[in-house]
Amino acid sequence: MKKNDLKNALKREAPFFMIMPALIWQVLFFFVPFFIILGLSFVTFYGPVIGQIVTFNYYLSLCDNAHVRIVARSLIFAVLNAIFCLICAYPVAYFLARRITRWKNFFLFFLILPFWTNMLIQIHAWFFILERNGLINTILLKLGIITTPLHLANNIGSVFLLMVYCYMPFMIMPLYSILEKLDQRLIESSYDLGANNWQTFFNVTLPLSLPGIKTGLFLVFVPSFGEFVIPALMGGSKHMFVGSLISHYFLMAFDVQKGAAFTIASGLVLLLVFVLCNWFFSKKMRTTKGPSYAAFTPESLPSDVNSGE
Amino acid sequence: MRQKESSISRYCLPIVTVGLYMFLYIPMIVLIIFSFNSKEYTYQWSSFSLKWYYELFDSIEIWDALKNSLIVATSSVILSSVMGVLLVFYSAHTYAKKTFLLFYGNLVVPEIVLAVGLLSFFAFFSIPLGITTLIAGHTLVGLGYVVPIVHARFLELDNRYKEASLDLGATENQTLMRVILPLLSPALFASGLLVFIISLDDFILSFFCAGATTQTLPIYIFSMMRSGATPVVSALSTLLIVISSILVLIFSSLQIKKTDMLQ
Repeated sequence: MKKNDLKNALKREAPFFMIMPALIWQVLFFFVPFFIILGLSFVTFYGPVIGQIVTFNYYLSLCDNAHVRIVARSLIFAVLNAIFCLICAYPVAYFLARRITRWKNFFLFFLILPFWTNMLIQIHAWFFILERNGLINTILLKLGIITTPLHLANNIGSVFLLMVYCYMPFMIMPLYSILEKLDQRLIESSYDLGANNWQTFFNVTLPLSLPGIKTGLFLVFVPSFGEFVIPALMGGSKHMFVGSLISHYFLMAFDVQKGAAFTIASGLVLLLVFVLCNWFFSKKMRTTKGPSYAAFTPESLPSDVNSGE
Repeated sequence: MRQKESSISRYCLPIVTVGLYMFLYIPMIVLIIFSFNSKEYTYQWSSFSLKWYYELFDSIEIWDALKNSLIVATSSVILSSVMGVLLVFYSAHTYAKKTFLLFYGNLVVPEIVLAVGLLSFFAFFSIPLGITTLIAGHTLVGLGYVVPIVHARFLELDNRYKEASLDLGATENQTLMRVILPLLSPALFASGLLVFIISLDDFILSFFCAGATTQTLPIYIFSMMRSGATPVVSALSTLLIVISSILVLIFSSLQIKKTDMLQ
């Protein structure tokens, strides 16, 4: 009887045991490490004796010019990268989503491919273009525009170029998918009501694609803020970025606690930008997507709005 | 009534598009061409040769790295898919139905923070770095993709399938295996492929969690590039580009089939 009770209880609680593996995995490898990092940034170890004191020294030691400059540099790079990608990607996404009719899958394939290509390969490829005797220098020398090869690789400009190159697909994809779903009837009604191309674009197309713009900006901004590979390979190790400094503290200097404090601090900077950006977009989207628009979702439009010409 | 296209959208859009495609592909094409170059340590063309490919296939290190990469990718796909499906299915309609939200963090947090956190975790509990720790990290990232994708698909499913199956006397487990899993399989396959390629391509997490002795393919490429890239890297890159294009083809044909089914 008792054994049966236990069996029934186990059966009843089966869902609990089934969801546990994923939850344990997540807690163990995501939340516990987070608290370890947080703990490391506050706690001092005194030699072999386990005397631990809570301290803010690690954070205070970050408040010097060098660290602030590195965070600012990463922030500016990430913001510029996101905006630059947006400006370049929007027309392309628009063209592919709304103008191309034939060969669409072909174009899409070549859009997705860089997305799935290893970033290291992309960096390696750019050395053929930018090196002292690479493609650009060879062409310019042949044309006689320059007489000595330019130093194009391993500087801060090439880092930015590579960032734009590597993160461009992250911007194009969300823009493409939102522009593709955009209801043609809304654009046509804008024309019918007398708006010209530019008015239609700024008052209808652009506001409706804001969710895609937001996703794209985040997808580019967040990883490029913590970028570590591109500066390490293309940066000529002259300029530090947030990602390279974190890896320096943890892997080279073994100054784990300062590294932890720096990770938390730059994470807070990222969070701040994230919240600000989110607030900005939700304000924008609320003004364009008020109750008056909500009544005009594609589903609520009568289906014969197009055929009744 | 469609207004006439302005000259800007008629001429500028295609030009910008072509420009962007050229920007994206010229470096790759040059890389592929130069992987067949016979001369070493130069970016100037001399003659066609396959010797870097022969060297690539002769290298023991690369095969070893590839083996590690494949082991890690396969295990993280299996682990994250199984755990993800179990979580999504058994947490639905219970007190734990919001737990999937916990997994969104894996994608939002910059990868280097994840990597540093995992490294400190392993150091804190003095777990030796190696293939196991790599699998742990990659499965974590994998869960970040599998859970949202499978959960979204699960919500689209008609709950009456599950109820009908339970009414007809199937147990919860039978319902999952016979009814829900076949319905989820397209989403599961897509997310599995995504996790596989992401794990195969992942560098930052692997760099931190692999330790000194274990090498995956991206770590190998990174160390080769650091110590002055030889054309072997170009040959390897060319092969990897070919492999990713095949995977993309599979992936996109999958998407197309899915939309065909819906129509």
